[in-house]
Amino acid sequence: MNNILDTIMNIQVFAFIGLLIWLYFKPDRKDLTDEHKKK
Amino acid sequence: MKNPLLIVALMITTIIAIWGIVDTPGLADFAKKTVATEFTSRAWFIMLTVSFLLITSIWLAFSKYGALKLGKDNDEPEFSTLSWLAMLFSAGMGVGLLYWGTAEPLTHFLSVSDFDDSKTAAETALFLTNFHWGFHAWAIYAVTGMVIAYFSFRLEYPSLISSPIICVFGQTRLPRIVGWIADLMAIVAIAIGLGGSVAMGVFQVKEGIEVLFGLQDTGFGLTLGVFSVLCLSYILPLTVDLGKGMALLSNAAMLVAGALLIYLLLMGPTYFLMGGIVQGMGEYLGSFFVHGFRTFTFMDDKVGNWFQSWTLTYMVWWLAWAPFVGVFIARISKGRTIREFLICVITIPSAFSVLWFGVFGGLGFYGILNTDLPILNVVRDNISGVTFYVLDQFPLSSVTTAAVILAAFLFLVTSVVSAAFVLGMFSTGGDLNPSTRIKLSWGFILGALGLVMILSDSIDAVKSIIALGALPFVFIVLLLVVCFLKALKKERI
Repeated sequence: MNNILDTIMNIQVFAFIGLLIWLYFKPDRKDLTDEHKKK
Repeated sequence: MKNPLLIVALMITTIIAIWGIVDTPGLADFAKKTVATEFTSRAWFIMLTVSFLLITSIWLAFSKYGALKLGKDNDEPEFSTLSWLAMLFSAGMGVGLLYWGTAEPLTHFLSVSDFDDSKTAAETALFLTNFHWGFHAWAIYAVTGMVIAYFSFRLEYPSLISSPIICVFGQTRLPRIVGWIADLMAIVAIAIGLGGSVAMGVFQVKEGIEVLFGLQDTGFGLTLGVFSVLCLSYILPLTVDLGKGMALLSNAAMLVAGALLIYLLLMGPTYFLMGGIVQGMGEYLGSFFVHGFRTFTFMDDKVGNWFQSWTLTYMVWWLAWAPFVGVFIARISKGRTIREFLICVITIPSAFSVLWFGVFGGLGFYGILNTDLPILNVVRDNISGVTFYVLDQFPLSSVTTAAVILAAFLFLVTSVVSAAFVLGMFSTGGDLNPSTRIKLSWGFILGALGLVMILSDSIDAVKSIIALGALPFVFIVLLLVVCFLKALKKERI
């Protein structure tokens, strides 16, 4: 398989995993937290 | 534009259907190449994802969050536990189990026997089949269903794939765009996945009719005939609200399949089948966790190709079905706790699969190891006919053959009708009563996609096209898990 394509495809995956981890730890907006607590 | 999601989803699926009908080999070839590239490059990611989903499920079930209800704290389950379990069975017990019951273990046997002696090969083949239909597969469904149920029943959002994203990240532009794309991907994955199941079911019903009536060389005519009858059969249920009628039909198919299982277990070599089931169960429980991380990276191309065309294809196939089955199991699970939901959804259908393949696969292995029947030749030449060939070795074969045809047909009709409903719901922003016109449009598209897969006349092509539709959903399901875990952090327990 083309090495460059393989590298690009896996960099996308690494970036996606990084994004997920960042999203998980990112503090929530206050209005959303309040709305959630109401429910 | 009134409903851009519906229009774009219909356009994409229609284009795929037209492409497949006009240039079937072209689509199949494109799917095979794209999927091979994806599988070669990202096999580790797919296996890691499914193992992660299973580990997350186990952690959630036994954590403090396990006591949370999929609904408000005072909601009680809508269905009795027994009836709920029966419905879980029928969700997992689609036409796939009927098709692959004997065919899959024996196909693995053929591949593995190149490396092992036949007795070890049978053991490995049964383990691999149990792995493909076991905890990992059901963890994919369970997580998707749990996330949909949590946001629908506890936080009162529409039953959509986009709901967790919009709930957790807000109604701003970016989450809405990502949510819109997630809904679109779910629709495409469901439509293509269903098309593949239609093709498999039609292939099997056609083979069954040939065996039942002693027909030979019916060519493409009978296949198209079966397909036409199927299309006519699901038009009526799509135009009227049958309420619980579809559940009844699905349960009837389940009963026929269950009766067949018991009949074969008792009429066949019971000691051999029960021995195989117990051994298969032990092998599976002993190795499923490690196998979930196995990528066969250090093996030769032959093994690598097998891994791509079976294990990886199955895992993305379950991902393709996840939004569809997830919505179904979410709807019937309101009021259950997360612990109860995860443990039951993952373990009970998996146990049933072990039983199913133990009997159907066991019959095949018995024929190979203890008789001179040319079963492996049937596996090589006509995979859709393997189940019927095995049934033919037992008394009342015309009755059992008719039972398989009936069950496969009922599963097909109920699957297409339910899928058209879910697609209608997804493409109209979560409308629980999509109009007849929209359901019929989806019924038509599902039929057309089914026809594409039938025209490809190759189960390998069918598998590649399904994988192509399902691949983006690997990313979506992980995003849903993050949304869910973030929402859990706000629960006061």
